[in-house]
Amino acid sequence: MSTATALGEAIEAGRVSDRLWLYSNYHCNLACVYCLTESAPGVPRRILPADQMVAAAEQARELGFRCLGVTGGETFVIPGMPEILAKLGRLLPVLVLTNATLFTDRLLARMRPLADLPVTIQISLDSADPDVNDELRAPRNFARVIEAIPRVVAMGIPVRIATTGDHNSAEQMERLCALHRSLGVPDEDHVVRPVVRRGRAAANEMGVVAEAKDLFPELTLTADGAFWNPFAPTVRGGLLDTDLLVTRQKLPLEGPAAALLRLADASPEGTDTTLNIR
Amino acid sequence: MTRVQPLTADQAPLLARPYYGPDGSASALTATLAQVPELLEVAMPFIGRVFAPGSVDLRTKEIVVLRVSALNGCRYCVDTHTVAAWDAGLSAAETRALCGAADADIHWEEREAALVAWCDAFCAAPAPVEDAVADALGEHFAEHETVELALLAGATAMLNRFCTALELPASEATVRRLEEAAAR
Repeated sequence: MSTATALGEAIEAGRVSDRLWLYSNYHCNLACVYCLTESAPGVPRRILPADQMVAAAEQARELGFRCLGVTGGETFVIPGMPEILAKLGRLLPVLVLTNATLFTDRLLARMRPLADLPVTIQISLDSADPDVNDELRAPRNFARVIEAIPRVVAMGIPVRIATTGDHNSAEQMERLCALHRSLGVPDEDHVVRPVVRRGRAAANEMGVVAEAKDLFPELTLTADGAFWNPFAPTVRGGLLDTDLLVTRQKLPLEGPAAALLRLADASPEGTDTTLNIR
Repeated sequence: MTRVQPLTADQAPLLARPYYGPDGSASALTATLAQVPELLEVAMPFIGRVFAPGSVDLRTKEIVVLRVSALNGCRYCVDTHTVAAWDAGLSAAETRALCGAADADIHWEEREAALVAWCDAFCAAPAPVEDAVADALGEHFAEHETVELALLAGATAMLNRFCTALELPASEATVRRLEEAAAR
């Protein structure tokens, strides 16, 4: 059976994700307290070159992946990211994760073509309380995000809000939801996910422990290789974690895809559902 | 000090985990190859098959591995396979002789003498094995056994280069066995 056929069956059966994740880079203009990758200004950049991202997307489409995720690091510190996203979006629907703090007028103008493509921008916002949000993420982060979200929405680019952590009480969460609604983001486009105890979160003793059995198999390419899940290619003390590495090979994508399938097939049924981190 | 970081069990990639013991132990070779798990998972079965008894028995194979490793100056392989050779039935004097000890007074029986001479010729590459050496080997080993020996010697030479370049350390258990033997 070809890898494409096997992948298609596995996706249909819900055994592996239909999304290929691409880590564009590891550096970031922020240094969030729970960051899985210890991203910050000045860290090794570990950039996945644009041509490899596009080649991976082309091969992903041929293999039967149905969508892409782009994450980092901060994705928009990469020069040319709007243009890269446009190329990716012409191949498969794209979800790009960002802190939205670099959205200058000039950058937003370059992002305008994305409105005509299946590209969704996922922006991190952890609290309706600016102090709480900024303590987790960065000074003035809240204000910048609140300014950026409606501008992106107004451009006609779909926006999702991602809240990381379980620090919000029910009342705080209601205020957060009221806030994102007021910014033009409906409830169905608000995702809440736990802090995973890896990277800087582990150093700060935050979050839930997640092993391979807790994480849905979602092939994830980084400059360092292919990983089990986007929560896998983490950095601790400046060193890359390899416990959830699948292959060093990135392209041709068939190699890591086939390896992921073999590993997923060897996993007991439903083992990723404990923490439901998807 | 090894040139690359062998991966401990808690950092072992998913494809590499089956090659670690239940207690998390792994040889330096395994833990280093784990850095590239897709190579580990093809290399280890290959190494396991080539170095295991096949049409050629284990004692014979260990003679080849230790002699080739000694001639190639691979400290890791010499240490590791000195102990392995003892476990395969070679005496301490025999392993010392294979490693070139001048005072080792060993008189190999004809079959093993031909094998040692062939190993020496093998390691003289790129020069071909001399006819007389090949003929002597052929008197004791069938063609398919010669193929198995040549693949073993070649795989050993490859690993000699790999282990030496990366300066892999012998395991604590191996070092302990060698120290205990020296103390006797």
